[in-house]
Amino acid sequence: MFELIKSLTQTYGPSGNEKKVAEKIKNLLKGKVDETRTDAMGNLICVKKGSGKKIMFAAHMDEIGIIVTYIDENGFLRFGNVGGLPQLIIMGQRVRFENGTVGVIWYEENIDNMKNATLEKMYIDIGASSREEAEKMVKVGDMGIFVGETVLQNGKIISKALDDRLGCAILVETALRNVETDNEIYYVFTTQEEVGLRGAKTAAFGIVPDMALALDVCDTGDTPNCKPMSVKMGKGPTVKIKDRSVISHPEVKDRLIRAAEKANIPYQLEVSLYGGTDAGSIHITAGGIPSGGISIPTRFIHDASEMADMNDVENAVRLLCEFIKG
Amino acid sequence: MMECGELLKELSGISAITGRENMASEKIAGLFREYCDDVRIDAFYNVIGLKKGCGKNPRSILVTAHYDEIGLIVTGIEDTGFLRFDAAGGVDPKAIGAMEVTVHGKKDLFGVIGAKPPHLIPPEDSGKAVKMEDMRIDIGLDGEEARKLVSIGDMVSFRTVPQKLLNNRIAGKSLDNRSGVAALIEILKELKKLHHEDDVYVVATVQEELGLIGAFSTSYNIKADLAIVIDACHGDMPDCPSDETFPLGKGVAIAVGPILSRKHTKEIIKLAKSENIPYQIDPEAGDTGTEAAAHSVAREGIPVILLSVPTKYMHTAVEMVSVDDVVATGKLAARYIAGRAKD
Repeated sequence: MFELIKSLTQTYGPSGNEKKVAEKIKNLLKGKVDETRTDAMGNLICVKKGSGKKIMFAAHMDEIGIIVTYIDENGFLRFGNVGGLPQLIIMGQRVRFENGTVGVIWYEENIDNMKNATLEKMYIDIGASSREEAEKMVKVGDMGIFVGETVLQNGKIISKALDDRLGCAILVETALRNVETDNEIYYVFTTQEEVGLRGAKTAAFGIVPDMALALDVCDTGDTPNCKPMSVKMGKGPTVKIKDRSVISHPEVKDRLIRAAEKANIPYQLEVSLYGGTDAGSIHITAGGIPSGGISIPTRFIHDASEMADMNDVENAVRLLCEFIKG
Repeated sequence: MMECGELLKELSGISAITGRENMASEKIAGLFREYCDDVRIDAFYNVIGLKKGCGKNPRSILVTAHYDEIGLIVTGIEDTGFLRFDAAGGVDPKAIGAMEVTVHGKKDLFGVIGAKPPHLIPPEDSGKAVKMEDMRIDIGLDGEEARKLVSIGDMVSFRTVPQKLLNNRIAGKSLDNRSGVAALIEILKELKKLHHEDDVYVVATVQEELGLIGAFSTSYNIKADLAIVIDACHGDMPDCPSDETFPLGKGVAIAVGPILSRKHTKEIIKLAKSENIPYQIDPEAGDTGTEAAAHSVAREGIPVILLSVPTKYMHTAVEMVSVDDVVATGKLAARYIAGRAKD
């Protein structure tokens, strides 16, 4: 499982540029599902046919990053955000472009208060000495992702892009375990979640499932002086009650809790005050699709070093398998 | 058949926290059944009543009013038994200190939102508003006992008992938008007396307070030729801009704005005048923040009329409306539906 997560997290895939991730997943599931298709938004939809209920699982392939907006005469890049970037923790980070070019994010040093260090006051240095030289390496509109090695330590995984390659890995692993069921299962790897839950919307409209789950990450309340939150890393995957985008449908939520209790899988109830998930756009698609979610409690979300517990990941796979059986 | 004031009191007393309307969908369906040919509850607990028209080729008219209410959601249970909570929908923390609440746990539990006594507030904090994250709900139990009855994610409603005031006013919780639901029933009552050609779908919708969720699915599922939305607008009170507030007892507020059907709005204003139904004009420059925003862009787009009941102290547990305004809203909508020209 670690190797799967490592391979997915280290693949380039900022919002709108998820192709490489999709290719990798397609290969992993080749011959393991009955049908694979890609829709116009780039969502990868893998179907395990069945005559029962249509169940959709969504995990987003895209990761946060930066987009080049301007290259100055000295070869420094100005940039905007792709998805939510916490400005204070991106300084000094490395970014990598699709062609492998690496840059360093730094800031204009005449800022007296770091609170004023907005993205407009930052730049990326790719070691070019002129605009011409820089333009040979990077163009305006190119997207960069954050660099962060994938490490396993003390049962915890530390990496960039756990949000949401963890979800992708859980879906791949669940599909590979091939649970016996009459239900028709849609493993959907969505695009552009970080910029407004966009891919999931068209994917759900194309499928119109009977119910849907989003597999994603959620915050934890277990670091020094953090905001109070009941979810802790390592205490099990969560059954989503609510986030900023959705209140889980009561029947979907109850089906998850029943599945967890039946198979004795540890779980936690999640009320997230911040952040949304694909469930938010799926549940208002077409005539309304009952939706909920499972999240992996994850520290330092949207940082280049996110952290999660491998036990939670494994238990999420088990929970999904039980959920499929119903 | 219940008189409108009694109906409002009954509706105000129902708990249907946004996202958990299954608490009350059967109850609402029961109220519709008396007047409808068919009533069903969809997967999201929208309650859909159909009153068939007698025309040969009836069109479909959709009338929606959301029945979810704002409330609180339990986010944590402390070892001492205090419950942490967050808002479900738009709740102003300044308006909930020292409130009585019902925690909808394994069973309904009485609780209070505790507040620090003034004696114990340090002078530098006196006069400061308390943040929601610093408040707790107290149900009188310790942590262990509380966890047996309450889980994270359980909903909490305010407990105000609805009261009839002089001048035909009602004060209570959730009048945003149970007044709208009462107006739906007033429409049905009125339609019983009238001859109408078109099929009328009255829908009490869910999750409006979370972003018009029920409206999105409803106007997708019911292919309507015309939609009428009934919601609350701000009542008058001191220090509020007069162009955004509407006095109670002066009639239904008819909205005029870019996302609303110019044709139907004009005609319904004309009808209000000729039928002597009291009304006020509510200019809405933006998307109105109501279900009209969802219906207007549903499918190929549905022409929408927005009618509002002036409501004082919106999103508090002491909202106030005039029963006369609710009756006027129902009467106007019903007569518009019945009298609608053949195009």
